[in-house]
Amino acid sequence: MPLNIISKFNESENLWMMNLAGEIDIYTANKLKESLTKVLNEKSESVKIDCEELDYIDSTGLGVLIGTLKRLKQDDKNIIIYKPKPNILKLLNITGLNKIFIVEGE
Amino acid sequence: MKNYLNIKEKVKDTMSDSLSISVPSKPEYVSIVRLTASAIAYGIGFNIEQIEDIKVAISEACTNVIKHGKCEISDNYQIDFLMDEEKMTICIEDNGNGFCRNDVCEPDLSSPKEGGLGIFIIQTLMDDVRIATEVGKGTSIQMIKYLGVDF
Repeated sequence: MPLNIISKFNESENLWMMNLAGEIDIYTANKLKESLTKVLNEKSESVKIDCEELDYIDSTGLGVLIGTLKRLKQDDKNIIIYKPKPNILKLLNITGLNKIFIVEGE
Repeated sequence: MKNYLNIKEKVKDTMSDSLSISVPSKPEYVSIVRLTASAIAYGIGFNIEQIEDIKVAISEACTNVIKHGKCEISDNYQIDFLMDEEKMTICIEDNGNGFCRNDVCEPDLSSPKEGGLGIFIIQTLMDDVRIATEVGKGTSIQMIKYLGVDF
């Protein structure tokens, strides 16, 4: 299944809204990386990742998010994982990444 | 590697069914492996959470083969699924670089890294994981998920 990404800057919350739909694995992780790099080069602000339609993620996708968070932390910004599905939340919990990213709407 | 093969032979003795696929060492085929594993797991009665665990574990193993295997892009690697009434066993073997087992550790949250989570995730999600690896010779992973067990 492909990965669809829609990014939009939310002026009122002053953060990037990124909607992910589909699956993030070794094949699609690079697309996520490119999208994140593109928006952050435009404006280095926190990113809220809407995972409501994200069905699958593994360590390749988590690696991209960790790399992006490291960059954002230099500017004191964050990644917010919004509405992750139970399988994605489980992966965040077992890797301890739920303590590093902000998880909302679980 | 030899130890692993012995394990596999022993496992095969007691198994009722097996299914093998040969997969191109390319990222775009990992989703097909996930679909195959899901279909097999569903067929033997795993619940949704267990199927998700199996999907992630097998993807992590395939990702390792593609990233660390010495396979040419045109090479295939082999995945064996072994099924019986109480468990599903998955064996994946590559002829890659192998790795140092001491390198596998729990994620360090004070300095999270972009890589190195794969084996940790497999060990957490599956019930029994055996890894035979030798630097320069390759890696075999055998992972088992038991029906009716949910940690």
